[in-house]
Amino acid sequence: MKRLSLILILVAAECVSAGPKLLYEEDPTLLTTTIEIVVQSGSSEDPMDKTGVANMIAEILLRGTATKDRALFQSTLERMGGSIGGAASHDTIEFSGEVIKENTDAFLDLVVEFLTKPAFNEKEFKSLVQENLAAIQHIKNVNTRLGGLALRREVFAGTPLERPTQGTRKTLKAIQLKDLKERYKSSFHKGNFLFAVASPLKKSQIEKKLESIWTALPDGKATPSPLVSLKIPTEPKLIVVNKPRTSSGSVLMAQAGIVAQEPDRYDLYLGNFSFGGEPLVSRLFNVVRAALGWTYSIGSTYQAMGSLSKQKGLYMVYTTPSVEFTTKSLFKILNMWDSYLEGGLKKDEIDVAQDSLVNSYPFGFDSANKRLGWKVMSELYDVPILSPSEYESKVRGIGNNELVKLLKKHHTQRGWIISVVADAKVIQKQLDQEQKSIPAEKRLKIAKVLRPDQIIE
Amino acid sequence: MKLFGPLVSFLLFFVSVRCHSASYQKIAEHTLFNGDKLTEFRLENGLQVLHVPRHQAKVLTYQVWFRVGSLDEKLDAKLKKTGLAHLFEHMMFRGTPKYPDGVFDKLVSRMGGTQQNASTYYYRTNYYESVPSDQLETLMTLESDRMQNLQITTTLFEKEKGAVVGELRRHLDSPLSVGMDQLLETAFRVAPYRFTVIGNEKEINGFTIEEANYFYKTYYAPNNATLIVVGDVDAGRLMSLTSKYYGSMKSQEVPKYKIPAEPPQKKERKIFTRHKQATSDSLLVGYRIPPVDSPDFTSLALLATHLSTGMEGRLRKLLVDPGIAVSANGAPSSKPDLFEFVVSLSEKHRAENALSIIDREIANLQKKAISDQDFQRALSQEKLDMYGSIGSNSSLANMLGEYLVLSGDYLLGFKMLAAFEKLTPADLQNAAKQHLNKKQRTVVVIRPEKRGGKKS
Repeated sequence: MKRLSLILILVAAECVSAGPKLLYEEDPTLLTTTIEIVVQSGSSEDPMDKTGVANMIAEILLRGTATKDRALFQSTLERMGGSIGGAASHDTIEFSGEVIKENTDAFLDLVVEFLTKPAFNEKEFKSLVQENLAAIQHIKNVNTRLGGLALRREVFAGTPLERPTQGTRKTLKAIQLKDLKERYKSSFHKGNFLFAVASPLKKSQIEKKLESIWTALPDGKATPSPLVSLKIPTEPKLIVVNKPRTSSGSVLMAQAGIVAQEPDRYDLYLGNFSFGGEPLVSRLFNVVRAALGWTYSIGSTYQAMGSLSKQKGLYMVYTTPSVEFTTKSLFKILNMWDSYLEGGLKKDEIDVAQDSLVNSYPFGFDSANKRLGWKVMSELYDVPILSPSEYESKVRGIGNNELVKLLKKHHTQRGWIISVVADAKVIQKQLDQEQKSIPAEKRLKIAKVLRPDQIIE
Repeated sequence: MKLFGPLVSFLLFFVSVRCHSASYQKIAEHTLFNGDKLTEFRLENGLQVLHVPRHQAKVLTYQVWFRVGSLDEKLDAKLKKTGLAHLFEHMMFRGTPKYPDGVFDKLVSRMGGTQQNASTYYYRTNYYESVPSDQLETLMTLESDRMQNLQITTTLFEKEKGAVVGELRRHLDSPLSVGMDQLLETAFRVAPYRFTVIGNEKEINGFTIEEANYFYKTYYAPNNATLIVVGDVDAGRLMSLTSKYYGSMKSQEVPKYKIPAEPPQKKERKIFTRHKQATSDSLLVGYRIPPVDSPDFTSLALLATHLSTGMEGRLRKLLVDPGIAVSANGAPSSKPDLFEFVVSLSEKHRAENALSIIDREIANLQKKAISDQDFQRALSQEKLDMYGSIGSNSSLANMLGEYLVLSGDYLLGFKMLAAFEKLTPADLQNAAKQHLNKKQRTVVVIRPEKRGGKKS
């Protein structure tokens, strides 16, 4: 299930003293109740040789309880018009569920059951390992994922974040059922839990049900997820994932990004809006796609690793040009980055970005689920809550001089780590061709060629 | 228990309002099961307008649907090509004399527009965005301008071809996308569904400005379009603005083509192919089925939910849980009318194995009706899907638009949901017997290339 999208928050998080920490959005027009359960313990706490434990817990809890095997649990849930999914991120295990409003009570009974009385069935565990292994293998078919994982291996080398959240072939095979049980015991306690609900029902009705979970959970104190340092090179480093005879090239370029509570984020977001963040109007789109016709998709984001968190993430530029334009696009982007870093934005670009960000602000609050998503972000990552007028004042106050100063504070001209998924021989040929006039020692070289198999090993 | 409240409809043929230079008629009013009011209007020039007011937030979704897609260009004697409808959709963002290239996007972005995009399919093309409701008039100025005054220059036309080729190349690197192309090409021998919507590189690069202008002038007419607005605007203001900005457009004769009838399929068709980027097998199976507005389609749709939705979906249990496949789905599609199974196999598992498992499951469905519990599960999952999405302005607009251009009835999605309730497990069994037969199907197996990259 997808993570609730973040944006802002109008009402501060509510903590029921000595009871479950519940964020609530009541909306009488809703036809369903949605619930988000966040356990603040993610894959960054997985042992290095067993990456994937957190993600497997999210899945196995939904595969049977003390009184219902998987089939009975799931069919009961689905027959009442409900669904629940679970997945881990680097700092959380999250369960997202939805049910038609009439069956909210029965649905919450099932939530109580799977969270507090999981079966940890051996057969289900074996099946889950097989499924995850198959899914990991399948990443080889998805070039953008291969490129992203190639970057992670470099940037987060030596930490659990260097791997996919769901683990690798090797780590999945090392995980045993007892690892999941132990992790459940150590992470599923009161201190780590956060509930978020959007429903047409009264909050008190939901609270009553959630009390059962709270009572069953052991006491515990929230422990912050370990944070890791990023290994970003000082000169561009190019990794090629070799996939012979592709029709397109998948290019990802990363620098260090920001944390959720970064005070400079308004300025950086505004800058990125015009550089590559906003489809159809950004510089990257207008030049590399609209003017040159080299690619269909191109953009840039500070949310390359999903929603921002307390862990510093990646700032990323991405594009999938026709294969013959792969290195041309890469050099063009580097060139455009230099201009952006040195000169920031033109007045017209700042005006467009300010208007767009301010005017699109209401979309962050136009549904109960979006409002709830903001509440969750605020609670988890101390993201301050701005009213529309405060937000406007922040955004309208941004000027180019300050932007350039902040770009130089957070970014560098040449500190890129780059992955290209395409035929390595073709890329080498293109690099030679594109850099003919550049002295050999100053050329961008392929630092490493990886096989798709190596990425998921 | 009734799943849905009555869908109350009134047809009003003679309520006419004169406003600005054009008049419009209120054609029908409906109350949807969630209490929303849906009103249909029509301008004198034939432009259809669907409106659902929602005032919970100061935003609205704006969509323009044209009843033209890649089928029309192939059947049009002056074109006989594929890919132009899609390339042309890209050109709709490249400027008019009043708002040159880039200005449309910049202005929509500046007004706070989100989800701004467009898409082309066999039978339709749509353009959409969501904006703050106080920007409605500015947006309508821009949308109506590009519907009448598009200016296609050689330079921009040629550059946009590059972007479309980039889109095509990405498509060609995906084994499943290519597999779907091959399924349609093999399943249809007469109907133009056998040609892709995006076309091929030669066709894309060969299009001329004259062809693009002909396409625009012929098909982008008010009487070939529907405007759908869901969100924070009252009917009076919406129709006053619609009359002002769209009312002066002239109705015109738009060619309508009868899609050549595909002869009944009497024998299974099967192809095996290799894809240079595939690392495991993919299986695609398409059974010929009746159109979206037939009663059997409804049974097949609910059967698909039984097969594909949730952790208890049959295909998941049979193929994904044992590690045979990474994903497995079966669902009916309309125009082209096929019940499609799409399976991505795990490495070391063969497509033939997945096909025999699907065959066994279909045989079971034909032999014995599913249990009441399973039937109830499918019904409830359909309800959850509709209840969860109808609250979003853009989801509701999408549903109305898609069913309208598919069947002529924008309420068909709601009617299907209500019809599910009247079905029985035996109806699903009968639909499986009637339509999921081997002789009426096409099977495509995509395999990785052999070592050394040689094609089979």
